[in-house]
Amino acid sequence: MSATTAEITAPARPSTLRLLLRDVGAAISLVLVLLSILLAVFAPWLAPNDPYDTNLMAIMQPPGGEYWLGTDGQGRDMLSRMLFGLRVTLTMGALSLAIGGSIGVLMGFCAAYYRRLDAVLMRLVDIMLSFPAILFGLAIAAIFGPGVTAVVIALSVATIPLMARIARSTALVVLGLDYIEAARAQGMGDARLIWRHLAPNCLSPILVFATLRFGQVILLGSALSFLGLGAQAPVAELGAMASQGRTFLFFAPHISVIPCAAIFVVVLAFNVLGDSLRDALDPRLRV
Amino acid sequence: MPTGFLKRALLGVATLAGLAATLPAAAQTTRNTAIFLREIDADRYDLHRSTARGAGEVVTLMTDTLVSMDWDGRTIRPGLAERWEISPDGKTYTFHLRRDVTFCDGKPMTAADVVYSINRWISPETRSPVAWRAGSVKEVRARDDYTVEYELNAPFSELLSQLTLFFAGIIDRVTVERLGANFGSQGFNGTGPYCWASWTPRSELLLTRHPTYRWGPPIFENRGPAHVERILWRVVPEPTARLAALQTGQADVTQYVPTVAIDSVRRVPTVTLLTQPNYFWDYYLGFKIDKPVVSDRALRRAVHQAVDRTALVRAVWFGHAEPALNIVNPNTLDYDAHSDTLVPRFDMAAAQRTLEEAGWRMGPDGVRVKDGVRASFLTYGINTLENQRQGEIIQQALRRVGIEMRIQLFDATVAWGRMATQEFDALFLSYPYFSAGDALSLYWHSRARPTPNRMNWNDPETDAWLDEARSATDPAVRARALANVQRRLAEEAPWLTTARENLYVGHSNRVSGLRAHGLYGIGIYKALDMRIVR
Amino acid sequence: MLRHAVQRLMMAVPVMFGVLLVGFLLMQVVPTDPAVVRAGPNASAEIIGQIRSDLGLDQPLPVQFGLYLWRLLQGDLGVSIINNVPVSQELGATIGPTLELMFASLIWSIPLGIAMGTIAAYLRGSWLDRLVMAFSVAGVSVPVFFLGLVLIWFVGFQWQLLPFTGRAGPLWTIEGLRAVALPAITLGGVFVGPIARMTRTAVLDVLGADHVRTARAKGLPEHLVVLRHALRNAMVPVVTLIGLQIGFLLGGAVVTEQVFSWPGVGRLAVGAITSSDFPMAQGTIIVLSMGFIVVNLIVDLLYGVLDPRVRTA
Repeated sequence: MSATTAEITAPARPSTLRLLLRDVGAAISLVLVLLSILLAVFAPWLAPNDPYDTNLMAIMQPPGGEYWLGTDGQGRDMLSRMLFGLRVTLTMGALSLAIGGSIGVLMGFCAAYYRRLDAVLMRLVDIMLSFPAILFGLAIAAIFGPGVTAVVIALSVATIPLMARIARSTALVVLGLDYIEAARAQGMGDARLIWRHLAPNCLSPILVFATLRFGQVILLGSALSFLGLGAQAPVAELGAMASQGRTFLFFAPHISVIPCAAIFVVVLAFNVLGDSLRDALDPRLRV
Repeated sequence: MPTGFLKRALLGVATLAGLAATLPAAAQTTRNTAIFLREIDADRYDLHRSTARGAGEVVTLMTDTLVSMDWDGRTIRPGLAERWEISPDGKTYTFHLRRDVTFCDGKPMTAADVVYSINRWISPETRSPVAWRAGSVKEVRARDDYTVEYELNAPFSELLSQLTLFFAGIIDRVTVERLGANFGSQGFNGTGPYCWASWTPRSELLLTRHPTYRWGPPIFENRGPAHVERILWRVVPEPTARLAALQTGQADVTQYVPTVAIDSVRRVPTVTLLTQPNYFWDYYLGFKIDKPVVSDRALRRAVHQAVDRTALVRAVWFGHAEPALNIVNPNTLDYDAHSDTLVPRFDMAAAQRTLEEAGWRMGPDGVRVKDGVRASFLTYGINTLENQRQGEIIQQALRRVGIEMRIQLFDATVAWGRMATQEFDALFLSYPYFSAGDALSLYWHSRARPTPNRMNWNDPETDAWLDEARSATDPAVRARALANVQRRLAEEAPWLTTARENLYVGHSNRVSGLRAHGLYGIGIYKALDMRIVR
Repeated sequence: MLRHAVQRLMMAVPVMFGVLLVGFLLMQVVPTDPAVVRAGPNASAEIIGQIRSDLGLDQPLPVQFGLYLWRLLQGDLGVSIINNVPVSQELGATIGPTLELMFASLIWSIPLGIAMGTIAAYLRGSWLDRLVMAFSVAGVSVPVFFLGLVLIWFVGFQWQLLPFTGRAGPLWTIEGLRAVALPAITLGGVFVGPIARMTRTAVLDVLGADHVRTARAKGLPEHLVVLRHALRNAMVPVVTLIGLQIGFLLGGAVVTEQVFSWPGVGRLAVGAITSSDFPMAQGTIIVLSMGFIVVNLIVDLLYGVLDPRVRTA
């Protein structure tokens, strides 16, 4: 029996970043996430060729040689198309998350803060959750025509209810805290309360969820493009490129496989990062 | 010992299994069924209302025509008519019908059915886009139960060839009246070697053997009934899936082998690739010459100069198609060689010059402008692999010279409806023909507007030449008239003909007795000699 | 128990109504006039007008909605404007294959996921545990079509082990089973990971609980502890997760059906939308959403069965 006379002090909590970096997987994924964002942002400067330029003398070239990642079915440089494609894919995801997230978080806060609105808003959320995201994507594409806009609208709407739920449950926890009561007793206005006290305390779980959600949004967006309802030819987008390369799967697999692999790596990086963020921010969840 | 939860889980599984029991069964056994694959479905199978090859390839199996086409693509053979006479002035054809023909429902076929079918085809109410193929009909009448008199207003030298096409198939009036608008989508009744069983649009169409069929065309060894009990037409839009299905024996026949795979398929021992030289199937990009931007002849000629058709065809068809110049294939009857020389050749610099000289100045966004109008046009087409790829390539080629080409491709079931409107400026399409006269009459007469003359070509001289060619009894007169049309079209360039495709019919070693026919682009015609050998 | 079930049902009704309303409204926003599409390319104005009043399109919106609900209750979902086949008929023919596909995917992925998660929890900290976790994260990150294409390429084409060109018969026939194998592996493959992970988390949670410690103290062997005590309670969050994932599964099914030419509702829906067949598109979307609500309801009720605490709430 060890004596329990050792000092009982709460261990000093290391910073989130340091916790993250201790985990090799998380460190690598952080690097990958930053790398993919950089590649996407600087694609126009990094791409060696015009992603739309067809070289009919060099169709379906394998990787290596003049074109580092080979060429696709119309003789376009895969490397350039990958960079621009990554750009479109990530932009679609980021926009959807930003728009859907903002609206959703606002809804969630309102539901938590104004108890009278709670039932109505959550019923609305339930209804929105009743539509599987991909079918909503199909419907929007039917009405507005296929394209990146349709995908962004669909994914934003699909993200709203999930963000609303997490914002609401987090806000409910925070609103139960004493100092919020105190602030309210002091007569602090609603808007100020939400902005100054509620939001910052809810930030961490929402951010974690957003990171995890980003991966899903990218998968959904590329799936919609794969079905032909997202980015339209000749625009480069990873899911659309994977779909176009299907025809030549047995002859030039790199045309499909490289975009698929890119989607996989990016989503994996965001997922691992999100997991590690969640573990780092709330040790209770770590198992 | 299953816990309460496990018990409930098992119950759930059992329920799902019960649900699964309500599933539709696919083809009971594939042993007596030949599986045919294709890329797209047809909008419907009413032979007078659809001109799609997708419709034709099925209708050809479900109906018979008065006369049939031999393997060489020119010689006419008996069909439902055992023999026929043509009057000296070329205006009256008398067909003597076989007496042993029955419809799929058992009803005997008589001259009245022939008269009904032809009349429905050419009736203004039906609005068939290819009613002209029947000729300028004065009257079609039944002299008795087995003799049909087909009287024209003017001679039509190609009438018999046209009557071998599936539009001239004989159908049953009672069934048509019963089904009304659903004829060809929910039911059918013809005399062909196979009968309509069921159709799941965009998925499967099942045909069953016509058991009393005995009147197959003489070009087959087996005159009927067919050896194979059922034919299942499967729509498989994925080229890789079609290819793999053929190679692994999951499907038996297809003429829609992706061109990228033709060479490798030839090396597969379990697959045989049939071909047919008497096959004319062209791809084109057509312009509505009365729409803004594309009404400018200079711009259309510049399009010809901007597109390297040789490279395009090699890239998209991998050597299994010929690049085209003018409208008509050099191997067809009444082809005019001189018109080919009038077609603008590929020359990027010349394209830029043509546009500049016509007043199209380069705009800030890389698109040329003339009188405030941007050089931009909207193109429709059916969503096939070829159209996707050649579309992107041509789009990029035009972008290089400052023309913006917008493309919208549609699923085959709706594309025909969209392409019948005036809402687009250009379209991708492909079509079959067996002679210059056939090809030119189909598209370029003013009365063929709005479809199939989607170009809205309206030129009195063209009309005069085409009318002259149709009723000409002297081949030289006909050839000269058609040559004039070809030259006019080469100069005005309302059409960019891209590729002349080869026909390949692939079949697994599970079936034998197949031969590629090619009439109207259709690979398998009647399938009477087809057998399942394992 | 009954009261809980009724309560849940009552809450689902407004949700269903909302779905119907939204589905109806969505199709009103459609830019193409269904009457024009139905009339065909060369129709005159009178024919279009006739069709419009036949379809009831000239009535005020609330009346149209009422008509639409009334027809829905009778099972009339309208008629495909492409070929005049009733939507309900096409749905009836395609729902089976989709359910078959989803069933085939779940029947192997759920047990495998639970087993993997339990083993990982049991062998916590070992390399096997880490492998399971890595596999789980990878599974959630891989696009469904990637997995499908790779399976087609290798298993279907290179090794020619299994077919991949669509349904070949009911599940209980050999051909049917072989045909559903690759699609089911593709669709289920994404599922295994999250289930394994959630099971592991839940089992570990429960293993720390009081009643489990009591069982251990009583001298019960560890594996029995895990199986009899931990697993049952761990099923609660797992079932919840499965319920939440059904929507995701549906989305995956749409893509899987496309890749494998599987004749299910997903492919029907995509085809209807690309063909602008609005009654069909509307019908498929509504039916799928209703199905999703029903499944959620079942999961909710199952939750009540598994966790007695919920029932008395």
